[in-house]
Amino acid sequence: MGLGIGRMWAMFRRRRLDGELDTELRAHLEMATEDHRRRGMSEIEAREAALRDFGGVTQVRETVREREGLLWAENLRRDVLYAMRQMKKSPGFAAVVVLTLALGIGATTAMFTVVYSTLMRALPYPDAEKILALHDARIQGVSTGGLMGAPRFFDVKARNRSFESLGFFFFDHPTLIAGRQLPVAVEAVGTNGEFWNVAGVRPLLGRVYGSQDDEPNAPETAVLSYSGWQKIFGGDRSVIREQIRLDGRAVTIVGVMPAEFNMPSGVDLWHDAQFAAADWKSYRGEGARFINVFGRLRPGVTLETAQADLDRIGEQLRAEYPHTDGLWRFTSQTLRESRYGTMRPALLALVVAAALLLLIACINVANLLLSRATARQREVALRRALGASAGRIAMQYLTESVVLGLAGGGAGVAAAFVLIRGVAAKLPGKLGVPGTVEMNWPVVLVALVIALGTGIAFGVAPVLESRRVELNTTMKQGEARVGGSGHKLRSALVSVQVGLSLILLVGAALMAKSLWHLLTNPLGFVPEHVLTVSVKVPWDTKDAGIRNFFGEVQRRLENLPGVQAVGQMDALPTVDWHLRSNFDADWLPRMGNQPAINAEDRNVEGNFLGAMGVPLLAGRALTAEDSREKNIPVMVNQELVQEYLPGGNPLGRHLLVNNTPHEIVGVIANLRGTAGAIASPPGPEVYWPADGNGGVAGRYFVVRSQRDPEQLVSAIRKQVEAVDPQRAVGDVATMDELLNHAVAQPRLHVTVVAALAGIALLLACVGIYGVVAYFVAQRTQEIGVRMALGATRGKIAALFVKRALVTAAIGLGGGTCASLALTQLLRSQLYGVQPNDPAMYGAAIAALLIPVAIATLRPALVAASVNPVEALRE
Amino acid sequence: MEDQDFLRPSAGEAGGQMLQGTLDLMVLKTLESMGPQHGYGIARRIEQISEQSLRLNQGTIYPALLRLRQRGWIRAEWGTSENGRKARYYALTKAGQAQIARETESWERVAATVARFLKAANSQ
Repeated sequence: MGLGIGRMWAMFRRRRLDGELDTELRAHLEMATEDHRRRGMSEIEAREAALRDFGGVTQVRETVREREGLLWAENLRRDVLYAMRQMKKSPGFAAVVVLTLALGIGATTAMFTVVYSTLMRALPYPDAEKILALHDARIQGVSTGGLMGAPRFFDVKARNRSFESLGFFFFDHPTLIAGRQLPVAVEAVGTNGEFWNVAGVRPLLGRVYGSQDDEPNAPETAVLSYSGWQKIFGGDRSVIREQIRLDGRAVTIVGVMPAEFNMPSGVDLWHDAQFAAADWKSYRGEGARFINVFGRLRPGVTLETAQADLDRIGEQLRAEYPHTDGLWRFTSQTLRESRYGTMRPALLALVVAAALLLLIACINVANLLLSRATARQREVALRRALGASAGRIAMQYLTESVVLGLAGGGAGVAAAFVLIRGVAAKLPGKLGVPGTVEMNWPVVLVALVIALGTGIAFGVAPVLESRRVELNTTMKQGEARVGGSGHKLRSALVSVQVGLSLILLVGAALMAKSLWHLLTNPLGFVPEHVLTVSVKVPWDTKDAGIRNFFGEVQRRLENLPGVQAVGQMDALPTVDWHLRSNFDADWLPRMGNQPAINAEDRNVEGNFLGAMGVPLLAGRALTAEDSREKNIPVMVNQELVQEYLPGGNPLGRHLLVNNTPHEIVGVIANLRGTAGAIASPPGPEVYWPADGNGGVAGRYFVVRSQRDPEQLVSAIRKQVEAVDPQRAVGDVATMDELLNHAVAQPRLHVTVVAALAGIALLLACVGIYGVVAYFVAQRTQEIGVRMALGATRGKIAALFVKRALVTAAIGLGGGTCASLALTQLLRSQLYGVQPNDPAMYGAAIAALLIPVAIATLRPALVAASVNPVEALRE
Repeated sequence: MEDQDFLRPSAGEAGGQMLQGTLDLMVLKTLESMGPQHGYGIARRIEQISEQSLRLNQGTIYPALLRLRQRGWIRAEWGTSENGRKARYYALTKAGQAQIARETESWERVAATVARFLKAANSQ
């Protein structure tokens, strides 16, 4: 027994004694021991007695510790229950708060989902940050979208020290025949074998091809995309090793990629292009840039080292091939940057817009809670008098707002989830690629943290208010009263709210005007009633075959009933296509290696001008005979004349390519969208007859007709099949559809920002209405006194309107300044409108001021209708 | 009492809820009559007053002290004991005084009711 007690005592002493409880208990035991010893016990007996009197030390310690921990949990539980009871007691209030927050948090979450999916989440390739996009860029002037020529690719491949693999792909639109099926036009890309090493993704079925398949005499191979596999082969697993015909060549399918693999997206298959460096020696010229190049960095090589390496190779090539490579350099960027970099400003602007809305929502909720805190002042005072600490009451308020925040956050995240699920696939451009924009746990986590943060943020105002409750005065007064500072806080919050709403409205107005410009600026062609289809013949078809095929189709389409005009073009406006050439001009002096003119090339045939509705400004249109001339004549666009022969007459003058003169026979209007983006201004362009120089193998037929496009397409299909059953018709679209597609991105941005601005406006009105109504309610007695002293109803109403408008005006002032700064972010997104466009600011201010004025009017009129006798009696 | 559900009977508190409420009142009353006092002092005082009729494990006092502190009825601060030891001293708060008044009243009512009941039962 004695030993046991001794051991316990020792254990107790050995324990960490720094805890307050331990110190306290030790003091207790020592005091008890001393008392016992004083009464004559021995040291050991005294300790024994002290411990016996005390009972179980460990148990007591555990009970106390548990209780301390439980207190925290218990307080939280009680606060949460209390918060829920409060919500139940005033469901309308709770609903407004939760809905307001759900709007703010939902919008922010949805936007953040897009940003996370594109700018933050790892791309779906192993070590994706090691993959670089390599671009060929002009040292000065317009580039060709980063595309590289095959010889320069092989030069980089041979000379670089930075990349463990270098791959390329180029778009290709072959006709595929599988077994006995009808030919289908497929979207394909040609690549080299190393392309798969760069991507680093394993196939779903079979294998990918590799460098060994690149040999020109190796059997040709292809890998299907998941969608291509499903679409063409119905997901048949026995497709591996099946032989198909691609543009007449026998190609073996060796693998199927998983659905997530999208390099590039939207293709049906990848095939080995079997390019050999030796074959491309003579294609260093301007027109031969057509491949997208990607490289995977060697371990330990940085972006900077790789770029320095590329610069070195670029320099060598400029020296070795001054005529063709003299004006070019290589640039590189990460895969993510090359994919989504251009979207970054727009996406960030949208996130900022959503965050502003969230802030506005928070302010509304803060104001609501503030009003309620005032109403609850007596309750707070009572609880303080009964011993509740200020801290406990603050915690209770915070818990309440956090519960509201989480409820709003949960609703917002759920709404965002539904929204994203619904629209992700319909988003324009790269955002719409399946699997790109999706909500996942990191996003949900961030959203909930935001909800928690907002809960705390808007809970602080009522806490500050409750801290100021003076026990004595509040209890004594029959009615809770707030001092002037409470009014000031409310007014300040409303001012901020108005200011934030203005920023959103200005942004929406600017973007709307920009879209309006995009849609209404002259296009240079008439897009209505124009149907376009692409038709391709294999690129190695003989010149005469190409000419005969397209000529025959052209003739047949012209004879279709209801067709007004038929033309051909190699790349339609809004299609991202770059093919540029250098020219000398017989009216411009030659300057060393510098070409006089660099212009985009387009090939047209048939009645292109009539079908497209392009005005001919001078001279004549190209005819079928022109392609058979020895020195083929050309048309140029207005921009080329304005840039290189301002004020002069270009007709009869010549453009020179390798000293061969090409007479300018016509000048046509600038077609917008020929450089891809319809927002970019058209550059100088030269129009060639598509049948000249051997003939262009892939063309669009442009058909102007009032007939229903669906019927027309099937009629066109029949005619094409009748000319050559091996050829398929692809890329069917009306010109209107193409334009719609081209402005889908800006239109989406305007829609989103306008929706956010609209909600913000609504919230701001609710906020200002609530605050004015609150002022009126608080000052009913004062109004009574004023009226009794002779103030007219008009004066009373004016008093409140004035007060609200001063608040709004302060907000507008601040909002204007903030907008001027923030809309700079939009600059790159705006077309034909400056970020500080005064008209748009005016419109936004008016759009804000009118509903705000109306919102203040009602409570002001209520104030004016106060019955002075009743007000004073209260 | 709202927080009963998380209270487990602590060491030596076998008497259950009744004893617990009693102990609380005893502690409060002790502090009222003696002024600020440390845990050992409170325990000794309760033993003396109850004249050993209540065999109390002294350790039980500490969960009770914490409970009372959490309710805001007493407050604690560190001080030095008669013989120079660092000890935690407890003192009654205003809320604690109000609680004594409430508890006393309810105790007296219960005691009177029980007494009346016993008397009536005896006289039958």
